[in-house]
Amino acid sequence: MWSVVKGRWHWGAIALMLAILFSVPFDWFLGEYTTLAIFIGINTIVTVGLCLLMGYTGQVSLGQAAFYGLGAYISAILSKTYDVNPWLAMFTAAVTTGAFAYVIGYPIFRLRGNYLAMATLGLGMILYILFRQMAQYTGGPDGMAGIPYLSVGGFAFDTPFRRYFLVWGFCLSILLISQNIVNSRTGRALRAIHGSEAAAESVGINVAQFKVKIFVLSAVYASLAGSLWVHHLRFVSPQPFDFLASVVIVVMAVIGGLASIWGAIFGAATIRILSDEVLLRFGEWDVIIYGLILMLVMIFIPEGLFVRLKKIYEWLRFKYAQKRAEP
Amino acid sequence: MSDIILETRGLSRYFGGLAAVDDVNLGIEKDKITAIIGPNGAGKTTLFNLITGIYPVTRGEVLFRGISLNKVPAHQRARLGIVRTFQNVLLFGNMTALENVRTGQHPRSSYGFLEAAIRLPKSRREEERIALNAAKYLNMVGLGQYAQENALNLPLGQQKLLAIARALATEPRLILLDEPGAGLNRLEKNDLSDLIHRIRDMGITVILVEHDMPLVMGLAEKVIVLDTGKKIAEGTASQIQKDKRVIAAYLGEDEDDI
Repeated sequence: MWSVVKGRWHWGAIALMLAILFSVPFDWFLGEYTTLAIFIGINTIVTVGLCLLMGYTGQVSLGQAAFYGLGAYISAILSKTYDVNPWLAMFTAAVTTGAFAYVIGYPIFRLRGNYLAMATLGLGMILYILFRQMAQYTGGPDGMAGIPYLSVGGFAFDTPFRRYFLVWGFCLSILLISQNIVNSRTGRALRAIHGSEAAAESVGINVAQFKVKIFVLSAVYASLAGSLWVHHLRFVSPQPFDFLASVVIVVMAVIGGLASIWGAIFGAATIRILSDEVLLRFGEWDVIIYGLILMLVMIFIPEGLFVRLKKIYEWLRFKYAQKRAEP
Repeated sequence: MSDIILETRGLSRYFGGLAAVDDVNLGIEKDKITAIIGPNGAGKTTLFNLITGIYPVTRGEVLFRGISLNKVPAHQRARLGIVRTFQNVLLFGNMTALENVRTGQHPRSSYGFLEAAIRLPKSRREEERIALNAAKYLNMVGLGQYAQENALNLPLGQQKLLAIARALATEPRLILLDEPGAGLNRLEKNDLSDLIHRIRDMGITVILVEHDMPLVMGLAEKVIVLDTGKKIAEGTASQIQKDKRVIAAYLGEDEDDI
């Protein structure tokens, strides 16, 4: 069986990936795409949260953009309007968003069945309207500008080059943490819930509690991404956090492979590049293309493009090893 | 009372107006194999669901080692030492065989999100123990060589053994097996029978629901018969075989005709 060569990624592949990631913002490499790469990092953080929730635990959220936006707006309002230190604003946003997710998740997960999708759908719509209508705080549909940069001591993250390393530092830490969670007792409990709730409960897993916790974690990830977003752009408006944004996050997660942590980078990058470089030309028709991608991936490669490519790579390696073993 | 591990008092469960389990009093003896038999719809699986907390009781109570379980949620009963398998197996299809058994160690370990996220020493220590125990239980049911196989790729007979290994990994005092023999051939049933004896010898009390009478007669030290939610007989296998009410229940005759 070729599955015997399947296994952990080689350290070599990891080192190569890190080297590429490190080199991206330099002018001799992909410097002109630094801003794009920053957005990919931010999207990856939101996406990996959804992967944990949807891919591993089997709970569908159609409102991740709401938590994303909540993080963005809390950070923006605290740091601009109330002059709070941006780091403290970011922390406050994450805690508040997490608490908010807990308050919503707790009653929903007491119920059996998948009510989360509907509840988060509604939540996304409500928050989007609030972002638009509470103009005295949020600046309304025009948004608010002049949000300060993050800084450490006297070192401000005031160039895209610097922010690239900030965002990707966050992103890789979150991916690593998520990977650790997946490969643990907690991760098995989450996957068990996806596999069979009755069986999970029979082996002592507190199904409702684990669902709430992973939902809160995914909301906190989204909030952190939102904060990074506003301290990068220095501007926030409601539009990036509308319903379509939630759908796009789902598409990113699906393309990367729902039950794949590192696939999140791949999914975020594919969709981000596609939307920034190609879909712009389609104007509002881009919604159709997202829908089409979602359909095609679910029908033909339900495990995700990234996971499929990885399998092909492993299969080729196996074939190569087999060939070499032959006399 | 010392040798009764599980007791039900006036246990009842209604679905709408229908009594699936009706005023059942049981005393399950410790370290023995008890079989619960009865025609389809007798309430056997409902009884399991009441004991394991999947359904709340309508009336009466379940006592485990003298403590009422009525207010104990299902997931906490595994920690107390009650575990079950399911008629429809319900393995975790998104995991390997070994991971399924590791998941069974959940109530015997305690590290959580934070310890996992940054791999604190506690998580490594527990993970080592979990790995060791899981391998032990997987080997015990004879599936050691399929550790890395996806659980649902195994044939049904092995899936059922895997489900038992997963249940054993919770280190229970009482294991409830719901139709463990269904769908197995004679050879597999012999192995199963042997495994159940070994489980009993480990000091785990066994309750099984089973339709295969030769299997039941070979295993059970005590047989309880349910019919339409009521207990109609209780005794050793040979006593039960002669019981007129049991024969009537199975053959569908009216008692007056006997």
